[in-house]
Amino acid sequence: MENKNHENRIIGFIHLNWGAILILILWEYWVVVNDFNPIVMPSPWGVLLDLIKNPIIYIENTAQTFFIAVVGLFGGMSIGTTLAIITWFSPLLSGLINPTAVLLSSVPVVSLIPIIARILGYNMATEIILVVIITFFPSFVFITAGLRALPPGSQDLFTSLGASRISTLKKLALPAAFPNLAIALRLAAAHAILAAMIAEFLMGTSGLGYLFAVTKQEFLTERAFGTSVIATVISVIAFIASSHFEIFIKNRFT
Amino acid sequence: MTGIYPNKNFIFGILGIASFFIFWQIIGHFQLAGLSWPSLTDVLKFLLDPERHGLFIRATVATFRSAVMGFLVGALVGVFLASSAHLLPILRDGSDRFAAVINSVPSIALGPIFLILIDREATPAGVASIHVFFVVYVSMSSGLKSATRDHEDLFTVFGASRIKQFWRLNLPYSAPTIVSGLRLSWPAALIGAIIGEWFGASRGIGILIINAMQNFQINLLWSAVLIAAMMSLLFFGLITLLERLAYQRFR
Amino acid sequence: MSNASIVIENVTKSFSIKGNKEKVVAVEGISLSVMESEFVALLGPSGCGKSTILRLISSLETPTEGTVKINGELPKSMVSEHSLGVAFQDHALLPWLSVWDNIALPLEIANRPIDTKLVNSLVDLVGLRGFEKARPKQLSGGMRQRVSIARALILSPKVLILDEPFGALDSFTRRQMNIELQRIWSIQKITTVLVTHSVEEAVFLADRIFVLSIRPGKIIREVLVPFDRPREQSIMRSKEFHHLVDELTEALDSTEEINNFDRNISQ
Repeated sequence: MENKNHENRIIGFIHLNWGAILILILWEYWVVVNDFNPIVMPSPWGVLLDLIKNPIIYIENTAQTFFIAVVGLFGGMSIGTTLAIITWFSPLLSGLINPTAVLLSSVPVVSLIPIIARILGYNMATEIILVVIITFFPSFVFITAGLRALPPGSQDLFTSLGASRISTLKKLALPAAFPNLAIALRLAAAHAILAAMIAEFLMGTSGLGYLFAVTKQEFLTERAFGTSVIATVISVIAFIASSHFEIFIKNRFT
Repeated sequence: MTGIYPNKNFIFGILGIASFFIFWQIIGHFQLAGLSWPSLTDVLKFLLDPERHGLFIRATVATFRSAVMGFLVGALVGVFLASSAHLLPILRDGSDRFAAVINSVPSIALGPIFLILIDREATPAGVASIHVFFVVYVSMSSGLKSATRDHEDLFTVFGASRIKQFWRLNLPYSAPTIVSGLRLSWPAALIGAIIGEWFGASRGIGILIINAMQNFQINLLWSAVLIAAMMSLLFFGLITLLERLAYQRFR
Repeated sequence: MSNASIVIENVTKSFSIKGNKEKVVAVEGISLSVMESEFVALLGPSGCGKSTILRLISSLETPTEGTVKINGELPKSMVSEHSLGVAFQDHALLPWLSVWDNIALPLEIANRPIDTKLVNSLVDLVGLRGFEKARPKQLSGGMRQRVSIARALILSPKVLILDEPFGALDSFTRRQMNIELQRIWSIQKITTVLVTHSVEEAVFLADRIFVLSIRPGKIIREVLVPFDRPREQSIMRSKEFHHLVDELTEALDSTEEINNFDRNISQ
């Protein structure tokens, strides 16, 4: 009986992860066939060994990047939500801000990094602000839409019940916007981690992005790849977690 | 298409954008944010200087080419994978996860990988293609699922094979969503191309940015950013037009 | 608990539609009054403006011409006193609240203390005991409408507005709901205006019925329903009932003819 469970688990794992497994196999094969020097292209095993043998460096830098990503994400989503609520109250502000926000969102974020770094200085606060800027837009757009995606007839209901504007916001618009908030979180989470890394890559003194830049320069290629692997793993975990959260919210609020 | 009356929203929008530019000019002119924030007029003067035309045009063309290449490759792969996953449902969960993993690899890590796989000039297109792939894959997957159960039952009862159903039902149904996805993926392609250029390309907007950053050339930096923004916006407008047509024709 | 009387005097309501130079006249020159504790039905085909009249009464719209007064005051003051009870065709239950919370919602909005006993009694009244914690998506259409009605009653309203509340239900459930509503209404006898396009429903539930013509909506017939209250299910099979239904159906059909006649002439 236990064997069957075991088998099912393995099959389930393969069913879901054949993509990554395929990549790893191809990677190993490619390295072996081309007989690459590990400095040029390491093998998966080499990367894994480096990860296992140097946990502290990885953990320290990962914690740093994670911290920046989380704080920035929280900040960006808070500002996005607040602005969405403000524009909900005032159609005038909404009309003014929306097109400008769309305009600004079309500026490739990576090109803003050097500019903001110039203005605010090369430090952790700037990195956090960059993440805030990147995560602000999806949350603003999605929550603005969510505040307006009300159950049919509910706005009339609230009007006929004599509800104040604030009451309508608290009891109707905000709960209605929750599913969209969850979607925005999923999108923003992925962006946050990437943004933190790029910011560190370009101008940081610590963190996974910085580690990547430095090890690449010093030809410690296995470690550079190790950083990427860790970053990927964190992103995937964040993606899975936020997807589950999204499904949970959808069930609770619709 | 409904008539475009200069209604309230349109006017507000223009007002908002105009005030943003005025804001920019004021801060730059009075150096309120220090040397790193030039006035709009200074940036425009720099950008439009005839002596620099060649430089900017070459850079823009290089980045544009990479982004378009990446766009096409990424879109094709995305469409292919999404269609396969639709036609062979057993692949679906795995390919969703695969796409998510590919998307989670930080773009800067992709640089060195592509450098080895293809040459340094093609790397920007490579990075761009990864970005585009994910957006197109997700859009198309969701678009293919959007034909309702009733429609699919109808086709089955008429004896349509799975492939026929795919061509005649799912594909047309997914057209609007695909075009939405293409629209969203262009900025991603641009960002991918710019990042890819940092790994050794000889010219491009990304190169301008890095050089300007390392050599304290503020006006150059802002000019490059402005160009990138324009590239994004113009394409945005084009695709939005395409999207409107797709919606009208297929829904 | 007192009830209100509604007076609608010479009301015209027109809308301007985007992209259309001409205005659309929804209702024209409507005058009707509803007395205290009276149950009135507005009967008419789609597009006759009956929903517009309800929206005018519930302050969701204001008349282009004429006046709408409830107890001598504007509908807006009824609304700010939280004295209005409304049940729409789309039940407008909040999907994230339980049945109990949905019913109690108006109390929260009106900033009144949540009277648990009152909520529970309404849950019993509409026959949903045991489903208090369920969420709308777990309920059938009929059950959702019952929640909607309980919610409409929670504020002990002076005026009850029902806009085709059973329109989305199948005819069997609909008949059951009519019987239920009759029973519930007989207990409190709130001044009620019901909009419907079901003749049987109007005859079974109302004291007076107004038949409306198609756009622009005008009152073309006023009929008094002579049955005593409380009304039993059996009256739906009586001769008088059928006779009244026939009369009203005829009046409704004639609105179609008038409309076609007008159209033919103008061509």
